[in-house]
Amino acid sequence: MRMRKTALAVFVATLAIPALAPAQQISEQRIINGLGKLQGAAPIVDVELLRQEAMNGSGKQMSGLPNWSKVARLPQMVVEIAFANDSVAIEPESYRTLGMIADALHHPNLWAYKFLVVGHTSSTGSDEHNLDLSQQRAEAIKEILSTTFAVDASRLYAVGVGEYFPIEGSKSEAANNRRVQLYNLGVFTKQP
Amino acid sequence: MPRGWRLIGAAAIVIAWTCAAKADTISYADAVTVLAKDCGADIKKLCKGLNLGNNRIADCLAQNAGKVSPTCTSTLASVAASIQKREQAQASYSKVCAGDMARRCNGVKGDGYILACLIKTTKHVGAQCNQAISDAGWR
Repeated sequence: MRMRKTALAVFVATLAIPALAPAQQISEQRIINGLGKLQGAAPIVDVELLRQEAMNGSGKQMSGLPNWSKVARLPQMVVEIAFANDSVAIEPESYRTLGMIADALHHPNLWAYKFLVVGHTSSTGSDEHNLDLSQQRAEAIKEILSTTFAVDASRLYAVGVGEYFPIEGSKSEAANNRRVQLYNLGVFTKQP
Repeated sequence: MPRGWRLIGAAAIVIAWTCAAKADTISYADAVTVLAKDCGADIKKLCKGLNLGNNRIADCLAQNAGKVSPTCTSTLASVAASIQKREQAQASYSKVCAGDMARRCNGVKGDGYILACLIKTTKHVGAQCNQAISDAGWR
């Protein structure tokens, strides 16, 4: 009986804070559920403006910035991807996570949507370097999803925010370095 | 037929069906997990700094064919094949299941809900459509 209670408590906790759950718990199903809960129409988001805001918004909360605050309300998922130190190269240990994201994006529940990949870095190194590195990391993920895993590239947007938006629950340098966020940007309309 | 036997029979059918479905295609996640397991050491040694995208890892391993472990070489080929197979299965779904969608899920809106409807009515859905859903990895 006690075991069942504990299991229930864990289950309820998982429901309450999906974004902060440890990355090893991610599965294709969780990505589909986490990213699929789009209520109503998503706002129009300009990725270039997001980049500018991230660059100029050092030290501010995401929710205090006009464009990022719109993004912050969208369904999102945090995944951990192991990059080689100070590099865009992803360690083979994280291939599975990338494959799971690809499986989820190919599922009918999500295939009508477009997604924003947000790359982060640790705070070691200069701001400018970190911003570049995080941008390249987000783009590397977009490239992998759209080539190796055949997700339509026009469904994917990549933006790097360097060290600017630390997220609660992943305070260590190592965790920040691995953090990648995915946001559901709403219905994808194919360009003519 | 006694109830116990019927249950065992039903279970056997379910197991056989699940195995058959699983043997056909594997997920992207499973495919690259095998790649990481069998080629991870070679990738770290020979393809440092390279990513999966644009075939860079596959090209790098091919260029270093002489130094790559035999297990990795054969895994690489099978991973590429299984990724392709999964892609084909997913691409065929809308066409293969069009008739079943019209018959069983008429009026259902949204691709996710249509799929859920087809899965719910599996017993009445055609064998080809059921196979396409299994091969696409959506059960």
